[in-house]
Amino acid sequence: MRIWRRLRAGWGAIFGRVRVESELDAELRFHVEAHAEDLMHAGLSREEALREARVKLGGMERTKEECRDALGVSFIESVIQDVRFGLRMLRKNPGFTATAVAIVTMGIGANVAVFSVVNTVILKPLKAPNADRIVQVEPTYQGVPGTGAGLPEFNLWRQQTNIFQDTSAYRLDRMNLIGGSSPELIPVARVTLDFFRLFGAPVLKGRTFTADEDRPHGGNVAVLSYGFWARRFENDSQVLGKAIVLGSESYIVIGILGPNLDTEQFDRIPDVWLPFQIEPNTDDHGSYCYVAARLRTGVTLGKAIAQLQAVVQEYRRRFPAFSSKEGFTVQPLREAMGNNSRRLIMLFVGAVIFVLLIACANVANLLLARGSRRMHEIAIRAAVGAGRGRVVRQLLTESTLLSLVGGTLGLLLGMVGIRALLALYPGNLPLTSPVNPLYIPRIGESGSAVTLDWRILGFAVLASLATAVLFGILPAFQASRADLNLLLKENSASSGFHRPRTRSMLVVSEVALALVMLIASALLIRTYIALRSVNPGFNSHNVLTMQMSLTGTRFEKTSEMEQLVRDGVRRVQALPGVTDVAAACCLPLETVWQLPLIVVGRPLDGPYHRFGGWTFISPDYFDVFNIALTRGRAFTERDDANAQAVVIINEAMAKALWPRSDPLGERLIIGRGMRAEYDKDSARQIVGIVGDVRDTVLDRPPRPAMYVPIAQLPDGINVINLRLLPITWIVRTRVAPYSVSLAIRSSLEQASGGLPASGIRSMDEVESQATARTRFEMLLMTVFGCSALLLAAIGIYGLMEYSVQQRKHEMGIRLALGADSRDVRNMVVFQGMRLTFVGTVLGIGTAFGLTRLIAGFLFGVRAWDPGVFIAAPVLLGAVALLAVWLPARRAATMNPMVALRHE
Amino acid sequence: MNKQLDLLQGTLDMLVLKAVSLGPLHGYGVLLRIQQISKGSLEIQQGSLYPALYRLERDGWIASEWGESENNRKAKYYRLTAAGKRRLEAEAEKWNRMADVIAGILRTGAEGS
Repeated sequence: MRIWRRLRAGWGAIFGRVRVESELDAELRFHVEAHAEDLMHAGLSREEALREARVKLGGMERTKEECRDALGVSFIESVIQDVRFGLRMLRKNPGFTATAVAIVTMGIGANVAVFSVVNTVILKPLKAPNADRIVQVEPTYQGVPGTGAGLPEFNLWRQQTNIFQDTSAYRLDRMNLIGGSSPELIPVARVTLDFFRLFGAPVLKGRTFTADEDRPHGGNVAVLSYGFWARRFENDSQVLGKAIVLGSESYIVIGILGPNLDTEQFDRIPDVWLPFQIEPNTDDHGSYCYVAARLRTGVTLGKAIAQLQAVVQEYRRRFPAFSSKEGFTVQPLREAMGNNSRRLIMLFVGAVIFVLLIACANVANLLLARGSRRMHEIAIRAAVGAGRGRVVRQLLTESTLLSLVGGTLGLLLGMVGIRALLALYPGNLPLTSPVNPLYIPRIGESGSAVTLDWRILGFAVLASLATAVLFGILPAFQASRADLNLLLKENSASSGFHRPRTRSMLVVSEVALALVMLIASALLIRTYIALRSVNPGFNSHNVLTMQMSLTGTRFEKTSEMEQLVRDGVRRVQALPGVTDVAAACCLPLETVWQLPLIVVGRPLDGPYHRFGGWTFISPDYFDVFNIALTRGRAFTERDDANAQAVVIINEAMAKALWPRSDPLGERLIIGRGMRAEYDKDSARQIVGIVGDVRDTVLDRPPRPAMYVPIAQLPDGINVINLRLLPITWIVRTRVAPYSVSLAIRSSLEQASGGLPASGIRSMDEVESQATARTRFEMLLMTVFGCSALLLAAIGIYGLMEYSVQQRKHEMGIRLALGADSRDVRNMVVFQGMRLTFVGTVLGIGTAFGLTRLIAGFLFGVRAWDPGVFIAAPVLLGAVALLAVWLPARRAATMNPMVALRHE
Repeated sequence: MNKQLDLLQGTLDMLVLKAVSLGPLHGYGVLLRIQQISKGSLEIQQGSLYPALYRLERDGWIASEWGESENNRKAKYYRLTAAGKRRLEAEAEKWNRMADVIAGILRTGAEGS
């Protein structure tokens, strides 16, 4: 009952605040007058009576305050008061306010941007029903999961219905869509029929595949994705039953998917979905797909992995070539997709935390400085009747205001930052290679999938408040413990109260943290430089590449393929500005097939001697890339289907298999045991050895590789390759590559009878894409390193500036007594640099410990590289010196008379 | 003149209630009445009076109303509510009991005297 009354009183009081105020005032005035009247009757004059009455009543304001307190108006009222006062104080010191807000904005903005991305890549679940039960099933080699699975494995896993449900295989191809003004190369997904159920694909119209359609020779049907239907068919509702032509075959459209399917498993959003049509008893062992499934209810991840071991045994029985080093495992799909980015994300997070710490230290410093400058004002407030708690609350309100403003701006900055991050993020760079060598998941086209969900907003608010409390509380408590008497007697500028030790400690830690960041940035910059200067083994300048999808029946026979290549090369060679032309299945620095090989005449204990990279090429391939031929000869037109089967190997393979003898003339059997078509390939004689070319990533030594002529491919292998990858044309030009691209394109189109060549990239671009990730890491760390440096400099400057201000009096005296102005300046510089020195030592020590964590990112530079560990502190020292110099000069050039007079 | 006694907050509340129980009063009047009924032994700190009045009103023991004073000036009058009456009785009883207990303790002589 009483609480109710209190609430009502408080509530009513807020609304009737004006009324309450005037009533209170009237009441107390009445009291004074009534008392005065009595005193006048006792003989005092009117003035004396009034004065006496007022004195007896005590402080009007204080009484009013206590009455207001009693009414319960006080809390909300006083909070509003605090806010208004806080705003006014912040407005009066625009320099301080702007700096503090800027720092908080940067800190929170960085956090919001990074954690949004982290949230999407790692934390956000797949948008599918029961997404946490969806796993990726994959083969492992020596315990490490490989990328992709083979068809026989899929068939076997699918049979494990006690572990998995809705087991699905999927892969992404590129095919030519014929029809319309010109053929277009589109991403096409091949999926087994359970895929749609597994991922909860919404079907807008029609249906998805039946079991009959998903069998070999099950017919040509296709399902369209929503975006493609909208774009190509303009939402035509009559599209079901119509046919589309892909490659050289026509497919009947049987269904259309709804718009919200999460397709992050694929490098690009598939436009068309075709049935995989896997043969149930196939023994084709190349890696052709990814496999995902849902765990049966009651089956945990651990149980699934354990049960899979029995399946491994069964597989090995059926396919003895499956060595003991290989196995199967299961991972949650989300993790499998995010894994490669995890490292990158962790780097992000680490950097952001550092910068945030520095920012907090900085703002704490600023607030401490402000706090001591306002001691005088605070003392007066306390004397007028504000309790200690009230003072603390008022200061905390100010820092909360700062943080909320900074936090809001930070949120906006974060949104901008997200877009910038995504634009640069390597996974989102346009990739025209059908196989993503970096396997980094896309994160939403232009930021669309990274939304500011409530978790991020909540985080931003929490971060703001946390920073407010963190750096507001220290000064607030210091302030409230002030000895009021002492403060009121002193003038505001004198040192008595400020705590130089705390502020110095803050500066030292800022310097240390900034140094660690600098060292990390420097290491990454050097890594990038090292990667760029790695000799890739080929010359990528002035080389243009483009791809052509040859799916269909026209080029199934090797002789037809070879004819196409020869025609194409001839036509393009004839163009002005073109030096060399070649065709191959893939480019250096991008994925290369790995096939097992057997050296003829060497004892064998197992199905093969080793794996090697395998590329088929046209004769001028090495010329186009300026790859050195070190021994033997290159391919010529005479190495055709009727001649002796030949192969060229690279230095790495020569050293690996023939360390002390000459490989020329030895013979290799390639691909035996992979599938029947490879078994038809005869033993090939080594006729040449070429220089090593870096493959997939620049920071690994080149792997052993083999090259075979296109003309000598068995028909069966040719067919397989056509279906998997487009052929790549490579042209070396005398002039800028893009200037002839159109001419090249049309020549190739003529040679192929109308097939489009697309995905035009210069080899320089390809190379730059291979280093994209490292460049991104380096960019990120540089940005963070510079921010850290800047913040530390601000911190040092602020402290020195403040210290000079505080000691104006003392310095004025020194100057007046005859000290050289240079001495005064040097004294300030010395003090500032001493702090920097301590911070530097701390920083170096910390860096030694921490750089081990980023050793995984480094290349060509050690984690404790002496050059970096010397250069970074020197840089920091120079910046610190600059930051200290300005206040020092101000101290030195100060007019002693002014300083002495300064209150 | 009797020595001024120092007053605790709890007792001030009780005295105010008592003063007001004898008839509605404005703040100054409460002051005078307490002085009067204590026969001058108690002089209240004026500064603590009004907060006490507001507190008691918030808690519901007294209610206020604007009226006219003797000199036809506007003044805020306080009167005891029913709940306040009960509270006053309860507090008075507690006070008396406490006084008895303490008096008893103090009356106890030294052992054997």
